[in-house]
Amino acid sequence: MKEVTKVTGTPINRIDGIAKVTGKAPYSMDHPVKNPAYAILFKSTVAAGKIQAIDMTAAEKAPGVIAIITHQNAPKLNVKGGLRGGALLQSPEIEFFGQHIGIVVAETFEQARYASRLIQVTYDKKEPKVDFEKLAGQARLPKDKEKADARRGDVQTALRQATYKVEEVYETPIEHHHPMEPHATIAEWNGDHVTLYNSAQIVNGAQTATAATLNLKPEQVRIVSPYIGGGFGSKGGQWANLALAAVAAKHVNRPVKLALTRQQMVNSVGMRQHNRQKISLAATADGKLTALAHETTTHCAINDEFVEPCGDCSKVMYDTPNSLITYRVVPMNLILPTYTRGPGKSTGSFALESAMDELAYKLKMDPIAFRIKNEPDRDPSNGKPWSSRATVQCLQEGAKAFGWENRKSEPRQNQQGNYWIGYGVAAGTYPAHQRPTSALVKLKRTGDHVAATVELAAADLGTGTYTILTQTAADALGLPIQNVKVNIGDSSLPPAAGAVGSVGAASYANAVNDACVKLTQELVVKSGKQFFVRPTAAQLMRSEKITDYQTRVDSKPPESAEAYSAHSFNANFAEVAVHQSTGMIRVNRFLAVTGAGTILNPKTARSQIIGGNVWGIGMALTEESVVDPRWGNFVTRSLADYHVPTHLDIGHLDAIFINEKDEHVNTLGVKGIGEVGIVAVAAAVANAVFNATGKRIRELPITPDKVL
Amino acid sequence: MRPFTYTRATDATSAIKLLAENPHAKFLAGGTNLLDLMKEDVERPTALIDISDLDLNDIKPITAGVNQGGISLGGLGKNTDAANHPLVRQHYPLLSQAILAGASGQIRNMATNGGNLLQRTRCPYFYEVAMPCNKREPGTGCGARDGINRMHAIFGWSEHCVAVYPSDLAVALTALDAGVIVRSANGQQRRIPIADFYRLPGDEPEKDTNLPHGELITAIELPKNRFANQSYYLKVRDRASYAFALVSVAAALETEGNTIKQARIAMGGVAHKPWRALKAEQMLVGKEATEANFKLAADAEMADAKPLTHNAFKVELGNRSIVLALRMAVNGGKA
Repeated sequence: MKEVTKVTGTPINRIDGIAKVTGKAPYSMDHPVKNPAYAILFKSTVAAGKIQAIDMTAAEKAPGVIAIITHQNAPKLNVKGGLRGGALLQSPEIEFFGQHIGIVVAETFEQARYASRLIQVTYDKKEPKVDFEKLAGQARLPKDKEKADARRGDVQTALRQATYKVEEVYETPIEHHHPMEPHATIAEWNGDHVTLYNSAQIVNGAQTATAATLNLKPEQVRIVSPYIGGGFGSKGGQWANLALAAVAAKHVNRPVKLALTRQQMVNSVGMRQHNRQKISLAATADGKLTALAHETTTHCAINDEFVEPCGDCSKVMYDTPNSLITYRVVPMNLILPTYTRGPGKSTGSFALESAMDELAYKLKMDPIAFRIKNEPDRDPSNGKPWSSRATVQCLQEGAKAFGWENRKSEPRQNQQGNYWIGYGVAAGTYPAHQRPTSALVKLKRTGDHVAATVELAAADLGTGTYTILTQTAADALGLPIQNVKVNIGDSSLPPAAGAVGSVGAASYANAVNDACVKLTQELVVKSGKQFFVRPTAAQLMRSEKITDYQTRVDSKPPESAEAYSAHSFNANFAEVAVHQSTGMIRVNRFLAVTGAGTILNPKTARSQIIGGNVWGIGMALTEESVVDPRWGNFVTRSLADYHVPTHLDIGHLDAIFINEKDEHVNTLGVKGIGEVGIVAVAAAVANAVFNATGKRIRELPITPDKVL
Repeated sequence: MRPFTYTRATDATSAIKLLAENPHAKFLAGGTNLLDLMKEDVERPTALIDISDLDLNDIKPITAGVNQGGISLGGLGKNTDAANHPLVRQHYPLLSQAILAGASGQIRNMATNGGNLLQRTRCPYFYEVAMPCNKREPGTGCGARDGINRMHAIFGWSEHCVAVYPSDLAVALTALDAGVIVRSANGQQRRIPIADFYRLPGDEPEKDTNLPHGELITAIELPKNRFANQSYYLKVRDRASYAFALVSVAAALETEGNTIKQARIAMGGVAHKPWRALKAEQMLVGKEATEANFKLAADAEMADAKPLTHNAFKVELGNRSIVLALRMAVNGGKA
């Protein structure tokens, strides 16, 4: 028997790469439908109050207008159906600036938009609550039980008694996801069933939430989402626009295309909230932590709550006898915040890892040595052993690869021309979970040729789901990758977890592997033979002359995993150059070292990590959504105002994966890399800026004016 | 956008006539700013006259008249072509640097030289029609005056408008004493010195320039100078590309030995127009080209700055940027 070389773990090219770069991969608005009408949402221009009147006289007469839908004629929807952010046209109440207040449907997009501008709305205005600076003092305990105060030991006493301590406040601004593909939907009804072409990170979640909102059964709603032009959390939970597309299509009795404009994205599909994080650290003179407190104050929507778990990293990163994690939140007239890449961990790690750097400096310790000194041998938050933890390895291998020994321990010691050069390090983590996922595997044999189709309602955010599932199935069935076809992104397929919270790869790949193993087992049984060396499914199809065979599995995480605390871990290294006169900062080099268990495809994994790093650099240096504190509108409404890094901002990026076999987390040992790539990036950059200039910037983004 | 008529002009004379006849008509060239503004309902022309086919693209030496020995840039030439033209790169590297510091490669490929001069402020209150803005809708007030104004003016603003003018190209043109050649409906051609082309907001912020409706920018003329070896365009911004200036400085010097014979300094991102730093220039003429003198010049210019709530940093940044740009200029573009 020929030795089969595994394709899993090899850097094969993206299966969908050519379709994407040649424009053949259909995104939401690209699906062909017959005779579509075009809808545009129009929006509130006040942040709080009530609609008094809507004058649609001119708009109704505008060319091409088919219908205008407002709270006055919208169908009754279930506002608790599971779509996020409200704005479902169910009442005249205004809760935030830019809230959807109506839909114009016309023959063309331009006609719809023109008509929407002829609509005159009058409001009973209320004083909006939009100034976080003024409101932060009113923040209260969140309703979410997960955000209750978590106390271990006595932080206050430890802080009082310590000689070495840091007590500082770190601010991260509102950020927006701004995926390249704005949220867009085509809605097409067929009787009382509706198909929604709409990119979704959680295909089944989009289906059930939309169905509940529209007062339909889940099977009456089909979500089609084969490709996603980025989401970063904003396409995890779905928003009003998805249901409103269906409402509009029903109303005009033809397919409707509804796309948000870039400017509408800032108050339609969530955001990362402004977090004010106080970190208190205390340590003994030899660098052993004695206290760690992480107290977050933030804001949520006026009638709904979402709070980023900023304290998560602080729960698990370091060994300390005294720990305190708290949250306080104040409702504001802004859109509901939501999951945003590395939710809580990217922002929380900025605060924690900046403070760790500050304390290491006070202790005159190398920041890597300081972290290693406080490495916990089990999860401090629950006492469970780690399924695997590579923090120390990440720090040590990274230091070697990055040339950490060239770092000056004091700031302003490394000068190149007009620039101060600085090195920074930060470590991070993100939990690893596998979620229930079903998968269907179908085999078909024609002569000696065996082909497989793998089906599940998984999502590919552009991160490589198609590719890793092709690899997983090919290996598990004994087929070359070109004989494997993966169908995902459709709610009519077997239900699957979302591509959210770094659960995608673990949930999907384990389900597909389980299905292939089950199928092979069934074929063995079917053959009635005993094998010394188990043949592959492909071999069995041939030897047993089976033409068609399929099996389905409902895959769950192993119960044994419960006994362990499972996380991906990383360490990031940044070299920055800060211009001495202008304060402009450039990240010359960035290295991410990640321990995430089995890496299914090193090429797509690397892309995902460096993509997270780039966003993290944006978080550190450029990204900020600014609210006018008088009126509650975002003044940063386009990609010209909301600065993501450009090519010129990014120096050399490198990603290293620790060779890690995690035997506890799940069958394939996959821990997930989607979120961890952005965790502890901003802190590494900020720490490098301190090492370069001696300026400790505790408020992101670190723009030139702050380092002058 | 609102309905409008579209005409594709075949010659300048009829194009200007069409424009002059309708106070709500606009020329369309690269469209990189106008179309965005129309989509946002900020600009509401009733007629667009597409002038892209007019033959006004040439970059050529000026062989007669007061600017003999200089060069002329066609009003419809693309920004990319102007930045990369050998005559520009050799004799006006400051201009080349300024153009390349602006926008992105894709936008520069579309944007024209004349259109660049007429682009509108990027003030977010101007762009969002739900906000008050005297520039967009006179009499509604200035949203930025007491709002978010980190990007706004520190020189020459009025209570009616604190917006800044966005072009990089125009800042270099201001330092280089360029002239804007315009043609009116009667066929007359005239030259507006760049210093007179732009204006401060005063109580008419709706007017960006002194160009009357009904005239076409046919060319930009650059007079001959001796700055080519000692000039530098410094742009300080929040990211390395595709960002408007926090502060920019176009600096050009002519020296004899180490003595400054002539100095030209213009700033971007600080006022409703490219800000010619005349006080700084006057401080420098006849002085040694030293760091200390550069600092004195910068101090003199920035002493008049009047920052708003969020942009006090621009005073210190402007000061440092003048010094740095002058140093870079003297060193032929090197620190």
